[in-house]
Amino acid sequence: MEEVFPEVAFWIFGIPVRDTVVSTWFTMAVILGGVVLFRMTRPSALEMLVEFFRSTVADVMTGVNVDPYIPYLGTLGLFLAVANNIGVVPWVCTPTRDINTPIALAVTVLIAVHIFGVQKKGLWPYLREQASPMIVLDIVGQASRTMSLSLRLFGNIIAGEIIVAVIYRLVKPIAPLPLIVLSLVTGVLQAYIFMVLATSAISTAVRTKDTAGAS
Amino acid sequence: MEQMDSGTLVTLVTIIVAGVGMILGAILPAIVEGRAVLRALEGMVRQPEVANDLRNTLIVAMALLETTAIYVLLVMLILLFANPLLDRFFPVG
Repeated sequence: MEEVFPEVAFWIFGIPVRDTVVSTWFTMAVILGGVVLFRMTRPSALEMLVEFFRSTVADVMTGVNVDPYIPYLGTLGLFLAVANNIGVVPWVCTPTRDINTPIALAVTVLIAVHIFGVQKKGLWPYLREQASPMIVLDIVGQASRTMSLSLRLFGNIIAGEIIVAVIYRLVKPIAPLPLIVLSLVTGVLQAYIFMVLATSAISTAVRTKDTAGAS
Repeated sequence: MEQMDSGTLVTLVTIIVAGVGMILGAILPAIVEGRAVLRALEGMVRQPEVANDLRNTLIVAMALLETTAIYVLLVMLILLFANPLLDRFFPVG
């Protein structure tokens, strides 16, 4: 049960480095290696992946040109889809089972919303748009959306981990396998949900009156 | 009940509350999600050409409905495994 909660793996210059951080590096290596491999053997698979991200984002953000936002949102979706499931590899833990990883990703969404808004509309028009009577509710809404994004992702992943750990303690060792397969499904689903909700948040920042109707 | 000291009583009540809270927090979102699926399926039967849109909306909406159940689960996990109030007010031993 203790392996569910993250622990420190090693120390660098007096800073503790957790095992989930090492897992994040491993996930990055897996994604980069996979992309290089697919580029050499079958680039059409990468095209299909990018097209899937583009069509998903375009379904949520109707009426705007979505190309500037695909790198960030595609990275979110791809990283989470791999990171939530990397726990099946032996001796590697899932990075998102540490509360810090989902919180960090949700904070980047919060910052990215404002950066994309300023990039699209210019600094002063964007700030002038924010200065409405609803600004307190807007701030509270953004804080609660950040929290709910991170807690949803963290809660789903940690629930799967704890259930697998508890059942592994009761019935060794084959019994947790169906639950692990189920947590593969929820890992990919939660990555998709995170990406769609980040897209919806960005679309509220970049929409203008002539592209109205975006969700 | 009178022989139990307050620490044991608080721990007992915590366990009971965690169990009952988890039961309620599991049943209610499940009922609501079932109703959402029912309506989505009715819509898909009525208009098969928008079935894809309905399916995507259904998936996103179910994940959002699941969120409050996840909140309940997180609070129950904290109550059972990492309860700071028990250790502060009723230290064991």
